[in-house]
Amino acid sequence: MTAIDTAIRAAAADIELIGVTKAYDAKTVVIPQLDVALRPGEFTVVLGPSGCGKSTLLQMIAGLERVSGGKILIGGREVQNLEPKHRGCAMVFQNYALYPHMTVAENMAYSLKVAGVSKAERAERVATVAKMLGLADFLARKPGQLSGGQRQRVAIGRAIIREPGVLLFDEPLSNLDAQLRHDMRVELADLHRRIGATSVFVTHDQVEAMTLADRILILNKGHIEQFDTPKAIYHHPASIFVAKFIGSPPMNILAVTGDGSALRLADGQVVANFAGKGSFQLGIRPEDITVKAGGPIKAQIRYREDLGSHEILEADIAGQPLRIATPFGAEIDPTSTLSLSFSQARLHLFDNGTSRAISNAFDQTKSAPASVKEYQ
Amino acid sequence: MVENARSINIAASILLIIGIVYIVGPLYLTLSTASQSYEYMLRNGLAWVPGGELFANMGKVINDTRIPIQMLNSMIVAFSNALATCALSFLSAYAIVYFRIRWAGVVFALILATIMLPLDIRVITTYQVASNIFSPLNAVLDVTGLNDLIANAFGAPVHLELSVLNTHFGLIAPLVAHGTGTFLFRQFFLTLPKDLFKAARMDGAGPIRFLFDILLPLARTSVASLFVLTFLSGWTQYLWPLVGASTPDMQTAVVGLARLVPDADGQVPDFPMIMAGAVLVSLVPLSMIALLQRFLVQGLVLSEK
Repeated sequence: MTAIDTAIRAAAADIELIGVTKAYDAKTVVIPQLDVALRPGEFTVVLGPSGCGKSTLLQMIAGLERVSGGKILIGGREVQNLEPKHRGCAMVFQNYALYPHMTVAENMAYSLKVAGVSKAERAERVATVAKMLGLADFLARKPGQLSGGQRQRVAIGRAIIREPGVLLFDEPLSNLDAQLRHDMRVELADLHRRIGATSVFVTHDQVEAMTLADRILILNKGHIEQFDTPKAIYHHPASIFVAKFIGSPPMNILAVTGDGSALRLADGQVVANFAGKGSFQLGIRPEDITVKAGGPIKAQIRYREDLGSHEILEADIAGQPLRIATPFGAEIDPTSTLSLSFSQARLHLFDNGTSRAISNAFDQTKSAPASVKEYQ
Repeated sequence: MVENARSINIAASILLIIGIVYIVGPLYLTLSTASQSYEYMLRNGLAWVPGGELFANMGKVINDTRIPIQMLNSMIVAFSNALATCALSFLSAYAIVYFRIRWAGVVFALILATIMLPLDIRVITTYQVASNIFSPLNAVLDVTGLNDLIANAFGAPVHLELSVLNTHFGLIAPLVAHGTGTFLFRQFFLTLPKDLFKAARMDGAGPIRFLFDILLPLARTSVASLFVLTFLSGWTQYLWPLVGASTPDMQTAVVGLARLVPDADGQVPDFPMIMAGAVLVSLVPLSMIALLQRFLVQGLVLSEK
């Protein structure tokens, strides 16, 4: 480890939310009930559509919003009634929220100034953080003279300068363009590795979630849909909501009926062998479908999109839309009926009523996904 | 709209010149009359030709009239008015924008309503209140019947009396209660990023620190422009100082100028001296406009980058 690596190193704290609720009044309940534990040093991405309560959750951890009920523990300490400054959290905001009249150095040092840290120590810490973030040449500038990426770095520097045990990110990359967003993602991952603070990162961007997270917490209407590693969430979604939310293009969900030996589509085509009976929702990712001559499943092609590396076919199967990702160069006759084969090991079965995944539905040799176990 | 037609240009220029003559003409007349002697004016009327008596006339104003002390009064009134208005408007806008207050919308509407009820309309009631600032309280006690209860219990009804007429406070206070500044600051605060307040809280700054460290430095141009505008309006107030101050030593310079015209009939006023006084009294706001023009314009535009 270099000197910089050790200079800013937080004592990571674990975060525990016990029965946390948030309601503005009887009608607008944002979070009905939330229990979740984040391990020290873990990078958690809170993912969900807008209005799912993810920002509210973050602000409750930070202390900017009061909880309506329940407890928040940071490092084992009950903090839900403490002011933000006593919680040991720092936050990076979506629109940077830098103080426009202060220089970069003053922006980063402001929290230390408020806390009464001496001028010499402030300057030293600013220099360390600026070196770490590549801002050493911009310390005398005002935020208005910086580019978006630089401003974001200042906002991050302002957050980490206090060496907080918990770092909170409120959609920090959504104001940047695609290239910069990628670069900042890499930098953030690197920074997290070096600082080691417990991080909570709110976003609606699944790429950010998949690439940054140790674990992803997927929220829907204030409920946890799934809380697991990116891999487990992608390969073993616990519900239809998760299945459709993660992956681009999203997972296909088809209504199927089990007749005791097989799952059939509405037009009678058999898509998989299955011992159960009743109505189900079958999930299959576009990349788990292959187009090949003699494939058992037939679909009508409607539209094809060439994305260079691969093609997305939009097809119609038994009156339902189906997306198929084919490798580049695959021979496809756009006028004919497609012959498809579903990768049987990669099928997902969901309960028709609860929309939750049914574990061990097809393969008895494959162990049930951990995530599903956790939630049943 | 920018039109290029030549005829419109000429017409616009003529209109502009007429406007300039209309405004500068009286100013010139003031200045030239102020520089002539009383005798010259008695012989020729108002002077169109400048003379050499300007400083003599100004000396007369300074030595023979109460204009100097009245200018000091004006200074106290205008400065305190500007300072108090800025502080009050800033704080009320801060409360309305940054804190969750019940009925904040209603409060803001009431504050705005004061713009529709200027002092000129309320001058009689304001005078009543100023002559006894407890009169609203007394009225409430009387109307609610509380005074009857008090009279029964203690033998006499409550009647409090304190007059602020003919004091600096009495001259300033009624001018301060005005919604324009609150409106200006509210609009400015709303243009700032919302997360600024949260960011400051995360940095450990409470509401007071945020006010002084973040909000005030950011709003300094708005504060300056409101200060200049309120100072000018305080300096040029006529009606309220005329009513609220009764002794010459408490009157403001603008009222004092009007009083230089003698009340007795038949006597020709010393117009050169009065004009010299007018020039003298105008010097303060004039230099203020010249020096702080930047803030004046920004205050009128109501926006800032």
